[in-house]
Amino acid sequence: MPLKHEFHYDLDPSMLPANGTVSFDKTGQVMSEIGDTTLCSLNAKDMTELSVNGEVGCGFLFAKMKDESEVLICRFTLSCMKSAGEFCKVVNFYIQTKQYVNPEKRQLPVCQKCGRPLVEGMSVCLFCFNRIGVLKRALGLLRPFAAKMIPAEIFLAISSILYLLVPFFSRILIDNHLRPMEGTHTQIIVLAGAMFLARALGELIYILSSRIFNQASILYANNLRNLAYEKIQKLSLNSLSKRTPGDLIRRVMEDTGIVRNFISDGGRWAIEQMIVFVVVLIILLLTNWQLTLLVFIPVPVVSIALSRFWRFIRIRYERQWRKSSRAQSILHDIIKGIRTVKSFGKEDLEIEKFSKATTELAEVSSDNEALWALLFPTMIFFTGIGEFLVLYFGGQEILTGSLTLGVLVQFTMYIGYIYGPLRWLVSFPRWLADAMTSMVKLFEIIDEEPEIISVEDPNNVSLSGRVAFENVSFGYKSYEPVLKGIDLDIKPGEMIGIVGRSGAGKSTMINLIMRLYDPSQGKITINGVDIKDMSPEYLHENIGVVFQDTFLFAGSFYDNIAYAKPGATADEVIAAAKAANAHDFIMQTADGYNTIIGENGYSISGGERQRLAIARAIIKNPSILILDEATSSLDVETESIIQDSLNTIVEGRTTIAIAHRLSTLKSADRLVVLDQGKVAELGTHIELLKKKGIYYNLVMAQRKTSKIAEDV
Amino acid sequence: MEKSTLEAQTLASAIDIGMIDLKIAEFYVTPGGFTGLRYGENDHNRITLRRAFPIGNPEEYISVADKTNKEIGMIRSLSELTKKQYEIVVSELEKRYYSPTVFEVKSVKDKLGYVYMELLIGKEGAKYKKNCAIKDVNKNIRMLDDDKLAIFDVDGNRYIVESLVNLDKKSLKRLEPYLF
Repeated sequence: MPLKHEFHYDLDPSMLPANGTVSFDKTGQVMSEIGDTTLCSLNAKDMTELSVNGEVGCGFLFAKMKDESEVLICRFTLSCMKSAGEFCKVVNFYIQTKQYVNPEKRQLPVCQKCGRPLVEGMSVCLFCFNRIGVLKRALGLLRPFAAKMIPAEIFLAISSILYLLVPFFSRILIDNHLRPMEGTHTQIIVLAGAMFLARALGELIYILSSRIFNQASILYANNLRNLAYEKIQKLSLNSLSKRTPGDLIRRVMEDTGIVRNFISDGGRWAIEQMIVFVVVLIILLLTNWQLTLLVFIPVPVVSIALSRFWRFIRIRYERQWRKSSRAQSILHDIIKGIRTVKSFGKEDLEIEKFSKATTELAEVSSDNEALWALLFPTMIFFTGIGEFLVLYFGGQEILTGSLTLGVLVQFTMYIGYIYGPLRWLVSFPRWLADAMTSMVKLFEIIDEEPEIISVEDPNNVSLSGRVAFENVSFGYKSYEPVLKGIDLDIKPGEMIGIVGRSGAGKSTMINLIMRLYDPSQGKITINGVDIKDMSPEYLHENIGVVFQDTFLFAGSFYDNIAYAKPGATADEVIAAAKAANAHDFIMQTADGYNTIIGENGYSISGGERQRLAIARAIIKNPSILILDEATSSLDVETESIIQDSLNTIVEGRTTIAIAHRLSTLKSADRLVVLDQGKVAELGTHIELLKKKGIYYNLVMAQRKTSKIAEDV
Repeated sequence: MEKSTLEAQTLASAIDIGMIDLKIAEFYVTPGGFTGLRYGENDHNRITLRRAFPIGNPEEYISVADKTNKEIGMIRSLSELTKKQYEIVVSELEKRYYSPTVFEVKSVKDKLGYVYMELLIGKEGAKYKKNCAIKDVNKNIRMLDDDKLAIFDVDGNRYIVESLVNLDKKSLKRLEPYLF
């Protein structure tokens, strides 16, 4: 059991690699050491805070002392940032409460094999996870579809064996019946019929097998896609914000598609090719083992050459893919910003930029195609060299009478069957690797543990009570606190305005109330119950929220308003729209509440959009209403209309509002002024003006701006 | 070209970009291990130095900010500093911009969507090996200019290949698939 907290860092004071440790023990001693050398020794009792600062490619840990001086403790690469942030939390908790956290409770997740800390958001160590494990897991997910897959595989085996009968019948036909004066028409018809039947039956069974396989693989991919999608819905904003929407969409749609193709085609072909290879090899060996050996003469050389060829060609095609991706990205940028391009008269510059990218792409593509056209047929030719050897030596044996023509024909036909699997086997590892890459990406999402965890037995009390922040600290990155030790009591029905400079932590506060994130320290209670003890669904159902950037879904006005309360009655939808001053503009459209947003050229203005958002927020009659810059993007006249509707709506509800335009918050019961993550001022508009502090300065600065606007 | 320079000069003379008067500036190392600045009558006991052009012009236009991140002013060129002052400022900048140089690419492995590299990094006289994992190579291996390459690993650490032309053939061959 560790007796003290330790943070391992990796740079010495001259920025060279080192194995350093900062320790923190029960007595409050914080000590930085590299080997036997102590670089720094301080006591947490003399500190006001232990902090981490991120630089470019590195970071440092430093202490803010009670005498207002600052002391550098150590420097480290970004690999240590997360551990440094966690270490700070422990020491800062001690500074604030004088309580020493048990070191065992604060262990960061590390790889059991190599000891490296796991990369944020990953449950596996990037340096240690193995391919077999991934494949086993992917195959494990196939279990529910085994009832379909196994018969499909059996059908496939039967179909392959039926195909293999054709050369066998050919041999009998040539050797025994295609003899002048000896063979009969009946015998020829019987054998030709047998070949036809074998082939036709093989095809039919193959079609049946393919259908079953495709159905199973579609269900498998669907299952995988739903697993990933469900997980995305459950993950916290913190996890999701680390990935781009494009990345998440690619994982849910493209990666599942790649896995599906691998299962439906790769898996099926793997088995088919294996069966064909083994059966044909046995037949060839039994027929003539010497000729069989001739078939395999070019195989080692060709296999090595093919393997190198794939590696080589793949690198070139990856480069082509990147060039294409770059050209697309330039095009995307230009089209998105076409207004700016034209305003600055930079069309020629942009044409040149895009043209350069497409020329590079064309050059790489052309080189690749030329190479492919040369190399691939050459490879195929060399792979088939064994056939010529068999023809030569087999032909000689026919001349000497030790081999029949039928056997040679059968032999050459089977050679064709055996080279197929060989060529395929060479490219299979690449195929498998691509599928596993997609599987890993999917498992990354599926395995990620949601940060917001629902308790098993939630205590869903009424949200109409008092909302309290109790010593709440939080940072989106563990080492960069945005809110520090916030204490705030919000009375039932009170309207609180949160003000402060950009980045002061205003939106973070409301994100925490909505439990989109959990505080890293302290708690938020409603009616005395920690919101972590309530179910997130219950919390979200009873909080109405209007953001600055309102997102409306594809659908009608009705659908968008009723989104917050599925099954809402027409009365409720109209009531919400009326309360939000949205009813009038909705009724002016031809299709009223059934108007599809964006359809038939009906696009809505910013003010209309916000009114719909307000209607959506209040339709569920929430106990708590959150307005995050709800009117800041609107002109003064529209804001005034929306403000009127808001004034009616907020009555009797606990309302927390953020607004840059301070005039919007004049009617708030109290204002909270945030500065550098802390509550700097608290009081009514008048009280804070009298105080002549941060709020007063903000108001004066805005008045100055308004004055300038008025003068103009 | 002349016209645009003239316009730039006019704008620059109209707007004060706030150069630090180096005659009344003294950079020093604080007892706590940070860099401080005595500037006229003010003493800033922890400053942050930032390069305006870290890639192409790292020794010019250096912003000096106090600990609340408010810019005190800019240094037009480090060459204007005295030797002692230069050493203090450069030492602080080197600590802020930690991007070890890549001298050799020992191995590159592509596994399940990640690229694993074993690099020989550091600085002249102090080279060491580093294993790193790179996710999404399109974004995280990128050219900074025609010859300079930056590699960002999964933790956000950055490694710089100062000159691809001067890199040994084997290393270049290993990196080549990821250059575009």
